[in-house]
Amino acid sequence: MAIVNIPPLGEEGAVAQATAPSHFWRTPIDNIRNKKSLAWFGLVPFFLFLILFLLIPAISVFAQALHDEDGSFGFSAMREAISGQNLDAFIFSLKFSAGAAFVGVVFGGFLAYAAATAKRPRWLRNIVSSFSGVAANMGGLPLAFAFLSLLGRQGLGTKILNAFGWDLYAGDFKLGEVSGLITVYSYFNIPLMVLVTLPAIDGLKTSWREACANLGGSAWTYWRRVGLPILAPSLLGGFLLLFANSFSAYATARQLTDNSKIVPLRISFFLGGDISIGEDAVGYSLAAWMIILMGLSMAAYWLLRRRAERWSNS
Amino acid sequence: MRDSRFQRTLGRLLPTLVLIASAIFFAFPLLAMARFAFQNLQVIDLGWNNLFDKWSFTSVTASFSDEFFSEALTLSLKLAIGTALFTLGLLVPTAVWVHLRLPKARVFVEFLTILPYVIPAIALVAGIVVVKPHARWFLNSDYSLIPFYVVLALPFTYRSIDTGLRAIDLKVLVEASRSLGSTWIATLFRVVIPNLRAAIISSTFLTVAVVLGEYTISDVLLKRTFPSFMAQYRQSDPRGGYALAILALLGTTLLFVAIGILSKSRSTRPQQVSRSQENEILV
Amino acid sequence: MTSLSFTGIRKTFGTTVALESLDLALQPGELVSLLGPSGCGKTTALRIAAGFEIPDTGVVSLGESVITDTPAHRRNMGMVFQSYSLFPNLTVAQNVDFGLRNRKVEKAKRNSRVGEMLELVQLGELGKRYPHQLSGGQQQRVALARALAVQPEVLLLDEPLSALDAKVRSTLRDEIRRIQSELKTTTLFVTHDQDEALAISDRIGVMSNGRLEQLGTPEDVYLRPASPFVARFVGSINELPNSNGVGKILVRPEDITISEDENELTMRGTVTRVTFQGPVTIISVRVDMNDQLVNVHAASGSIHAQVGDRVSLDVTPGRGIIEAA
Repeated sequence: MAIVNIPPLGEEGAVAQATAPSHFWRTPIDNIRNKKSLAWFGLVPFFLFLILFLLIPAISVFAQALHDEDGSFGFSAMREAISGQNLDAFIFSLKFSAGAAFVGVVFGGFLAYAAATAKRPRWLRNIVSSFSGVAANMGGLPLAFAFLSLLGRQGLGTKILNAFGWDLYAGDFKLGEVSGLITVYSYFNIPLMVLVTLPAIDGLKTSWREACANLGGSAWTYWRRVGLPILAPSLLGGFLLLFANSFSAYATARQLTDNSKIVPLRISFFLGGDISIGEDAVGYSLAAWMIILMGLSMAAYWLLRRRAERWSNS
Repeated sequence: MRDSRFQRTLGRLLPTLVLIASAIFFAFPLLAMARFAFQNLQVIDLGWNNLFDKWSFTSVTASFSDEFFSEALTLSLKLAIGTALFTLGLLVPTAVWVHLRLPKARVFVEFLTILPYVIPAIALVAGIVVVKPHARWFLNSDYSLIPFYVVLALPFTYRSIDTGLRAIDLKVLVEASRSLGSTWIATLFRVVIPNLRAAIISSTFLTVAVVLGEYTISDVLLKRTFPSFMAQYRQSDPRGGYALAILALLGTTLLFVAIGILSKSRSTRPQQVSRSQENEILV
Repeated sequence: MTSLSFTGIRKTFGTTVALESLDLALQPGELVSLLGPSGCGKTTALRIAAGFEIPDTGVVSLGESVITDTPAHRRNMGMVFQSYSLFPNLTVAQNVDFGLRNRKVEKAKRNSRVGEMLELVQLGELGKRYPHQLSGGQQQRVALARALAVQPEVLLLDEPLSALDAKVRSTLRDEIRRIQSELKTTTLFVTHDQDEALAISDRIGVMSNGRLEQLGTPEDVYLRPASPFVARFVGSINELPNSNGVGKILVRPEDITISEDENELTMRGTVTRVTFQGPVTIISVRVDMNDQLVNVHAASGSIHAQVGDRVSLDVTPGRGIIEAA
């Protein structure tokens, strides 16, 4: 590399001059060996696996969904899947999923912050993070049973609340309705949010907080102009993840209730039920719409996560 | 940080309150479930005076003698081990390949591992039902659940292995091994895998936890796994069903605690060259 | 009238004493470096000045006002951290603008000030970039511009060059000195790199184990080290046996004269290695008396020694510091 006149500082044009172009050093053999297309062959087993056991089922769902009543190709089943009672179901599911996600984000966010900043005791953060690992993956039966025994009509918690004068079932509270589902789902949503948010909070460097103070900013200034904006992609991403998780949960819901306004339950009723050929296309359409909705949510989640990662590398 | 005294007290009080409230919220349902499972007393009859009466483990020991108990448990355990092995066999070589040969594909592969969230269990099983008539020879076997379980666990297991690979200097180790004369296979088994021990064990435990708790697919496909057995048993004996759930919960908790201990005992490597230094342009 | 001053500052962390009793006063406009190995307390002192640590006892003042209890965000100081201090979600210009906004300066004045500061650090074109798009050296320039934008009474620098490449380090170091002397900002500069400290400081405070070992100009510290620690930490040092047999005498390589003459009062030894380093040649000599290895700097060409030659060593009068046993 030739010695260049030290360029005026910070000019990138001069920087580019200072490095030799790398293609000078490549030989023909390297061109063949490093061909990217050959390297992709190594991923064939993985791609094959995904195609067989993820893609084909997914495509089959759509294949079945795009059937009209007479069995030919058409969109009528897809349309029906989002009208009438099916639409009610989607709206219901959207409502409680968004609610559960919101509760999860707020409480999970605070819990993550509390755990991340706790100096004493030292084992606190580890406990919170380990427990979150367990609870986030605790779906299904144990969770449903636990809440049935706590807040069911014969639940221990219900009885305790009665003793304080609060009749839980006086209103339209039911474990299978919106408020009940939000309560139950928070049990795995909050820990999931903690797991996703802890690394993001760790990524908030203390030097930012100190620099802000040094420049005359109060704690409020810091959160308003630096802290929350930086956390925003993670928080939003967390919301989307929790939303997708809540919307598609089946096992817990199944044990709690048979409310057919919960979309995954509704789908299973169509799948297992005693229904005519034309109707099952509607069931698959429900699943297809759910996949579309989840796809959009996860795509947004993915973009937000990439954004957050970019800042953590600055 | 020297903010006002009020802010400081609030700052210390609030997190403590949050932690205490969380502890209560997360403990109560479990306590209620344990009480229901192990105390042979209806909630209506429960009072301060008989709080400690009629506690026993008979509800759960009774379930052990159910004719389907051992069948379901062994099936789930076999599926768990099978899924774990399949996962490792598929993901370790793939992840290693991506890290070594195709670093640009890393983002893409990570994206692929999120797809199971896009096609959740209930949608996946719907698709399986469609395909079933055409693949009865395969889907009739209970073990056909294994690849689908691998799919369900994919986001967690891949991330675990990927993190493990990022913590070791894979390229350098492999090049050192190759320059000393090892073949690719030997390098994989003698160098890479031993250094990934914590990640491999982590992802295995994660897989086991997922499989032992998976209900959706086995319910729709009418396979007799342990969770399905739990649900069924609960119909006839609610207290027994709940007791089994507690057992399952304890089991998975132990697994996660083990994972936690493992990831701490392996001292984390000092930060790799920071990005800012990698991007350093000579000014 | 002094600018920033520490009086009797003591700070402990648990059982560790970070600062024993620091007394230090900066004159307006001067650049003082705190130099020492990690753990010596220099960073603690800086952070106490900034308000991020509270001393156990002692007083910190700025001019006539005591600021020991003033919260960090109300001290009018600028700080440049070792790394990662730019707000990643704000552009370069917004970063530099940050302190001005907190002080509610009006928009037009803020914009012109930001432009001014970016020009000062020679990054005028990069206002719209984000920190992650800049190199380490550029990031530190922005950090400097940001700290200076609010015209702080004191500029605090916490090892700002440590995380940078060697080449960037020396350029930026001179930049910092140039800007500092142009603006006449009182500056406290913490570093473990003695070359940096020697190159840019008006005065250097050499610290060790929470104590200020010596406070003086770079020449003072180098030529007249006040303690064996300072002698060893700054520049290279040789340890020769003291002529009376007790303790050692610490001498710089260039303060030893080497000749082929024999004299019963001088030290004799054998040349083990000769290393040519351009203007200076390093001659390593194994001393007869206790077999110790001594490095002597001689102007190249002034002496023609070869490996195996027998030579005499003498210490230039007035140089060297005695270390009791």
